[in-house]
Amino acid sequence: MKDCKKTNRNLVAFLYGELNEFDKKQVEAHLKTCQKCKAELLELKVVYETADSLNADMEKAIESVDWENFPTRIADGVFDQKPTRVRRPRRAGLRPFLLQPRFRLAYAGLLLGIIVGAVVTFLIFRSSPLQVGEDGRIVVPHGFYDKMELEMARRETIDYLDSSEYLLLDFVQSSPEKSVEFWQSDYASRRAIELLSKKKYIDQQLDNIKLVKAKAICDQIELLFFELMQISDELSVEELKKIQRLIQERQLLLKIKLVRKELQKSEV
Amino acid sequence: MHTQKKNQQGEISSLVERVKSGDRESFMTLTRLYQRKVFQLAYSYFRNKEDALDIVQETFLRFYQKAHMFQKGKNFQNWLLQLAKNICIDYYRKHHKRDNELRREENIEEVNQTSHESSHHDPSSDLKEIFSRCLVKLSDKQRMIFVMKHYNHLHYSEIAQILNIALGTVKSLHFKAVRNLRTRMSPYMGRMG
Repeated sequence: MKDCKKTNRNLVAFLYGELNEFDKKQVEAHLKTCQKCKAELLELKVVYETADSLNADMEKAIESVDWENFPTRIADGVFDQKPTRVRRPRRAGLRPFLLQPRFRLAYAGLLLGIIVGAVVTFLIFRSSPLQVGEDGRIVVPHGFYDKMELEMARRETIDYLDSSEYLLLDFVQSSPEKSVEFWQSDYASRRAIELLSKKKYIDQQLDNIKLVKAKAICDQIELLFFELMQISDELSVEELKKIQRLIQERQLLLKIKLVRKELQKSEV
Repeated sequence: MHTQKKNQQGEISSLVERVKSGDRESFMTLTRLYQRKVFQLAYSYFRNKEDALDIVQETFLRFYQKAHMFQKGKNFQNWLLQLAKNICIDYYRKHHKRDNELRREENIEEVNQTSHESSHHDPSSDLKEIFSRCLVKLSDKQRMIFVMKHYNHLHYSEIAQILNIALGTVKSLHFKAVRNLRTRMSPYMGRMG
């Protein structure tokens, strides 16, 4: 059975005399004992002989061609052409490199990106809140200014929370002994004053119902900065330690982070 | 024997070099030497004299255009047959593929029936016709390998070089080509052979 499989694989090469002596002898020996492979070889021989029988037609066709004059005919066709027909070897430039099939996928992705981008841009512009009225004036839909204000408040609040977080982190991480110096330093006092004035500015916007949580935390921060700025000179190291602990216990920094995340997600 | 072959190759190479510089006589000498080989390949691929002559003409024209690409020391015959092979496949796709797709629908059995109806019935010519149709139905590569092996009497290694594929692949595709022909023809072998 195993021999049959091997012989079968070699039968075509055997028929065409392409086997080495060893394989040829093995096939011959197998064919003496296996009728199935012998029958297979006979069928292959019919194919071989039928293909051979077409040789006669080919010989006839070859004989019917005037081979003596054929080269002259071909040469006339070739040499009578304008010299521009002879192609020069192409210089390897960027073009053949960019036209390689392996870049097809990248080009398809790029094309898809352009199409998606175009569709998205179209949708954005189509749904633009600004519409042109019949008299040519730009008409702003109802509620547009409210939305704009809310969005500005949101951004301002995020900015406020960011700056406050950095300042509080500096305070919490500094040792209680150095925290007095810290609040007396130019950097901290300048930042705290900036933040206190910013808070006054965003107060009106924070009154908006959608920013209630943010308002609560901003108020807490404001109070803390105010207190620290006012009384840090009079506070003992122990009291400053307590404030630091209080900030940590109330997880003020964590709350700032959470509210900021919430604000970032709630883009108008 | 080996030295003689080397000298011959050297002569061919110098003829090609002269063709590169536009020498008509060298071009004609090379055409005279290889025109029959190209014709054999094309004729056995198309089984049509006119198509085969078109291929020969186109092959030598392509040779003149691409002579600068021939590398010294390479086998010129294999390189030329490579050009001829590409032209055959292009020509077939351009001129015959549609006809053969239509014929594909036509059952081989019809050959059998038509021949039995005719008064001058020659079984071996029927088998030849069936063989020709089966040959056309092989894939481009299998058909080309079969033709190169059977009609051009090329060795597997030469075919591998011309087609630019591995020797093992040539062996396996030739095996598949003959087996496919046998499978397609076997229902008619008993009746006609």
